[in-house]
Amino acid sequence: MRLTRSLTALLLLVITVGCNRDPQPARKELTIAAISGVEGEALKQAAVDYETQTGVHITVTEFPYANLFEKELIDLNARTGAYDLIMLDDPWFPTFATKQLLTELTPLLQKRGQNGPDTDFIDASIAVCRHPYQSGSLYALPYVGNSQLFFYRKDLFEKHSLKAPATWDDVLTAAKTIQEKESGSGMYGYVMRAAQGNAAVADFMPIFWAFGGEMFDASGKPTVNTPEGIAALEFMVQMGKYSPPGYASFNADEVGAHLLQGTAAMSINWPAWIGKFDDPSKSKVIGKIEFTTLPGARKPGQAEIGNWLIAIPRTSRNAETAMDFLVWATTAEQMRRSALRGNPPTRKSLFRDPELVAKYPAYPAQMRSLETSRPRPRTPQWNEIENAFGIFLSKANSGALTPAEAMNQANAELEKIVQRGQ
Amino acid sequence: MPNSRRLSNAASRRHLLLPYVLVAPAVAVLLALSIYPLIYSITVSLQVGDAWSIGNFTRLASDNFFLTAMAHTFVFAVAALSCEFLLGLGLALLLNSQIRGRGFFRATLLVPMMLPPVVAAIVWRLLLNPNFGAINGTLKEIGINTEALTWTASPSLAMMSVIAVDVWQWTPFVFLVLLAGLQAIPQEPYEAALIDGSSRWQTFWHVTLPLLKPAILIVLLLRTMDLLRVFDQIFILTEGGPGFATETISLYIYRSAFRFFDFGYAAAMSFVLLALTNVISVVYIRLLRNESRA
Repeated sequence: MRLTRSLTALLLLVITVGCNRDPQPARKELTIAAISGVEGEALKQAAVDYETQTGVHITVTEFPYANLFEKELIDLNARTGAYDLIMLDDPWFPTFATKQLLTELTPLLQKRGQNGPDTDFIDASIAVCRHPYQSGSLYALPYVGNSQLFFYRKDLFEKHSLKAPATWDDVLTAAKTIQEKESGSGMYGYVMRAAQGNAAVADFMPIFWAFGGEMFDASGKPTVNTPEGIAALEFMVQMGKYSPPGYASFNADEVGAHLLQGTAAMSINWPAWIGKFDDPSKSKVIGKIEFTTLPGARKPGQAEIGNWLIAIPRTSRNAETAMDFLVWATTAEQMRRSALRGNPPTRKSLFRDPELVAKYPAYPAQMRSLETSRPRPRTPQWNEIENAFGIFLSKANSGALTPAEAMNQANAELEKIVQRGQ
Repeated sequence: MPNSRRLSNAASRRHLLLPYVLVAPAVAVLLALSIYPLIYSITVSLQVGDAWSIGNFTRLASDNFFLTAMAHTFVFAVAALSCEFLLGLGLALLLNSQIRGRGFFRATLLVPMMLPPVVAAIVWRLLLNPNFGAINGTLKEIGINTEALTWTASPSLAMMSVIAVDVWQWTPFVFLVLLAGLQAIPQEPYEAALIDGSSRWQTFWHVTLPLLKPAILIVLLLRTMDLLRVFDQIFILTEGGPGFATETISLYIYRSAFRFFDFGYAAAMSFVLLALTNVISVVYIRLLRNESRA
């Protein structure tokens, strides 16, 4: 009997403790969902500095890239209000904005006496923070200014008197020449990643755009199987002949490894890799790699933009404090500190900052690439579209389908996806 | 209990309540963690947008990705199960006999099974890397042209590679269960067979195999259920690629739910997989029950 009584008491105690919320108003606190890695690291440091200055306690919760999107979307959909600020990869932004999960920032800026975002931000970076793209309302601020770059071995280009790769034809000629003449040393002319999904699509889009391809027409109908689109995929498969075997399953790591080991002469890549080439413990190619904007073909070359944005969920209970931190963290002074940790900025003044340019000689090329960059098609269904498109690109590159078959099947699959979204 | 008669009515009532009080937390946890999500996922699978509909289930029939992923899952399960069973049975028979060093072999054989599947998959991804991997490195050393051996990147080899890794990791489990089964068989039937003058093959076929049947059915049932829901190894080794060559149903379910945020469709696919797994399990269990009656 005593047992029953004590069990009941215990149960009651648990219930009482569980229900008793702290009646004191909590001091100001912010919680941020961030990407783990160098981008999130910089934000964490900024949070510590901000806390010392203002006394606002900031908790930074880090997630790996593979989980961040689902954590944020599940949380915002469930309206738990767990996060006051979230880091977003720019292709995710349309999903969040379309579902109306983010706070519009302009009214918050106006309260602070600003009409809109600082004009020092790169236009292309602010454009991906707006919904609809470029013209719509502002729902985020750009924190890390990534865009694709073209990497090539300038020592080999000089050795074989090749001209800097300005067009995809130049790239093909150079890949051929280098592979033929350097074949003894196990050198490949080009390295790309064609694993299904994000990898294949990221390496294909710049070729696709340069060849005049468009994923959707003005009415939103998929148009990847136009003659331009098929020609672009044929070209990609042709470049595959100069890429290491197995590239149809490569991801960023394998591409990086080939460049670091000095076994490939060119690739499309993201700025995060630049620093690694100067690390003697990893790199066999110190000082040998040049970075430039993407090659063109029928159209001028355009990179995919891949900025990290910071937004305030609609469910945040501390939107004004969150905005204060967001504005502070994206000031030139704070972003400069993030840049010194290796994150490309989103501000023109920082890309031109003499000290930063001395440390990162690729900055002028990065700025040109970012300013002329293009976002991935802005649709809330991007993840599904990218997945389906990537499967067919990978199939063409692994030889399972011809480029024309792949593009026709991809187009049919994209039509189904788009139709479902309507 | 003679004492209980002397207890007052109230006390005896409390006495009767005690078991319920003690069981209540477990039932509550079970309700919260199993039953509620199950019912919830059924309702989710029956919604498209915000409306009630069986659209998620009708869409399955016209979804090439779903049908192909299903086919891959069965190819993978059948191939891996056959290899694991034949190898596991062979090893169990071998190590059940009195060979030298069998303790050592038994212990080492279990190592792959001890590794978390994710770790095993990462190890194999490195081994199978066409350019820097140890397997192609070794083949190159002994003079074999490895140019075409892009294990996880070629549509024809990728499925074989993921099957091989599963066989490597889970044959030990089959072996372990069958070995335990073999050791539980009494000696008498063998003595009788010996006296009757049966050959080794006849002994195996008419004595060992029938007596081992319960263990065989159990291990086949467990492996089939595991193989049909394979996720980690394939996700790490190929992520379903190249193209779609190794995409199994659980990878596609994962993608639909957490990448495309289509929980309704993902739930519908899960229920189809659950139904198929159930049908197969029922067949196994029927066989097992018939066996125990015989």
